[in-house]
Amino acid sequence: MDELIHTLKTQIIEVLCLEEITPEDIQDDAPLFGKGLGLDSIDALELIVLLDKNYGIKLKNPAEAKGIFASVKTIAEYVAQHRTK
Amino acid sequence: MIAVTGFGIVCAIGNNADEVLCSLQQGRSGVGPMRYLESKHSHLPVGEVKLSNDEMKELLGISDSAPVSRTAMMGAIAIRQAVQDAGVALEGKRVALVSGTTVGCMDVTEQYYQEMKTNDALLSLPMNNDCGKSTHDMASMAGLNEVETCTVSTACSSALNAVILGAEMLKNDEADIVIAGGAEALTRFHLNGFNTLMILDPEPCRPFDEKRAGLNLGEGTAFLILQKDCTQAKAYISGYANRCDAFHQTASSDNGDGAFLAMRDALAMAQLDPADIQYVNAHGTGTPDNDISESRALFRIFGNQMPEVSSTKPFTGHTTSASGSIEAVISILAIQHDFTPCNLGWKNQMPEGITPTLGRSGIQLSHVLCNSFGFGGNDSALILSKSQSGSPTPQSVSAGSSSITLSRCEIHSTEELAALKEFVSPMESRRMGKLMKAAILCSCRALKAANIETPDAIITATSRGMLECSQQFLDDIIDNDEEFLKPTLFMQSTHNTLSSAIAIRTNCHGYNITYAHGDDSLDWAMRDAERLIRNGCAKTILVGCFDESTPLSNEFCQRAGKPAEPEVSAMAIVLAAPNI
Repeated sequence: MDELIHTLKTQIIEVLCLEEITPEDIQDDAPLFGKGLGLDSIDALELIVLLDKNYGIKLKNPAEAKGIFASVKTIAEYVAQHRTK
Repeated sequence: MIAVTGFGIVCAIGNNADEVLCSLQQGRSGVGPMRYLESKHSHLPVGEVKLSNDEMKELLGISDSAPVSRTAMMGAIAIRQAVQDAGVALEGKRVALVSGTTVGCMDVTEQYYQEMKTNDALLSLPMNNDCGKSTHDMASMAGLNEVETCTVSTACSSALNAVILGAEMLKNDEADIVIAGGAEALTRFHLNGFNTLMILDPEPCRPFDEKRAGLNLGEGTAFLILQKDCTQAKAYISGYANRCDAFHQTASSDNGDGAFLAMRDALAMAQLDPADIQYVNAHGTGTPDNDISESRALFRIFGNQMPEVSSTKPFTGHTTSASGSIEAVISILAIQHDFTPCNLGWKNQMPEGITPTLGRSGIQLSHVLCNSFGFGGNDSALILSKSQSGSPTPQSVSAGSSSITLSRCEIHSTEELAALKEFVSPMESRRMGKLMKAAILCSCRALKAANIETPDAIITATSRGMLECSQQFLDDIIDNDEEFLKPTLFMQSTHNTLSSAIAIRTNCHGYNITYAHGDDSLDWAMRDAERLIRNGCAKTILVGCFDESTPLSNEFCQRAGKPAEPEVSAMAIVLAAPNI
């Protein structure tokens, strides 16, 4: 799980162009949206593409993604359970 | 008052006004399975025009086998219908064609994209693929060779803004006749773009329904013939306004601030009270976001005295940049034939939402409000009236003098863009393409030098917008076979994304327009700015002119024997009324 969390952090930083942030700056269970990292609705859409492209997970709408994208840890748990690649 | 003396329309529910009227009155939707568009996402219903490209060529008498844009062809068909409908002689008159479009000739560009990279016989395509080209093509296919042409590109409100500009040109005696509207063909580019935003409903759309789940993309065109002080009119344009939500690049503000301001100011221009409006043709896309925001804006205007409201997008699909003129024509048909079109597919009342009409006949409509909103919160409202309300067209040409330039800033290389940090945090600028960075830096510097935080209006000129993002998105569509596409690229490919981003940054809710008419874009932008200042509609205006090149676009230039273009070219000017 730790390895998956680290990989996800690297992918999130790359996809969302978070140039000034390192994987170490993102805490596993810190909120990604709103007050935490401060991501927005377009980032959520980019993360949906990330999960589709890298893990074969197809989320139908942003509302469904909301709970999954709470933190890197919640994303990792979801990916571990639902990945098809 | 500005008179609409004729119109032409081609959309999913008909190839002319009679067919459209018939479909509206019989409740027959034109949305269905893809027939002409070739896309991997064939499960998505679309509102296609029921004509193949070959059939359009035949209608226009084009025998040439060279690629012709579907957007331009359908536009030309609607223009011909409009001119014939008005029965007006154009010879010897000052005629202007004002068209609104988002991606212009994209249908041709995407079809020949790979081939044009190597085939010199197709080199004219990438060298002439800006939005202005589609307007020139429409004019020539419609046989209008002597007319002045202009193109506006403000995403889904483009065509309504073209009508507004046309009315302004007439009021300011810049033309005798204006042909105004818009056209947009379905493209894989657009379909995939909206798909990345996850706002396409795989079922028929249901605007204002609690269970709405997005929009159906459509295509089409409509053009209106506008003339001043005409007694023989189909309807009159009594008011209009364009305002900016200045909230988000793709989402609407919770309370529909931009929409509210546009409707309020259109009513003020028409000197009408909300109670004078009998029908609203809503923007009503069917996305969760638009419909709640527009509902709240409508309640802010009308309170509990809500007139009949419907969205006609379940009939036509969301015809994006053309929707404004298409729905203006639908509104005129409603006025002429005493009915309100049904909001097809509506079943469940949404909390805080308006209750749309399911259609009524035998209803006298004196004044109709038509809403059209675009990405970047580009919100426009138009009021169409059955008869002239006494007073002649207010003479806009005032004694006001021309503007003064308060400041001017230019950027011509990407090396300068590091300075953006002074105005924008890295978190905010991380997704911005180079032209967006240049446009914002330039604008912030010019405004700072002029000591102005929020200008009254923002007017932008761009020939090809954020070319790098458009090109990358097109590459991804091909390389990834229409999958894993980035919403960030699509969002920034829309030409008015620059103008909207500046409005958000400066909190400017005023007039916001983008001219995309090739090399003439800046001239049109300056002309508009001068008009606003002369007529006292704005005291301070930010005018920008932004374009960029890419390695591929310069490769095309080289092959065509033309000089390479700068990687970025940005200029911002702050203009002010002389008596400020």
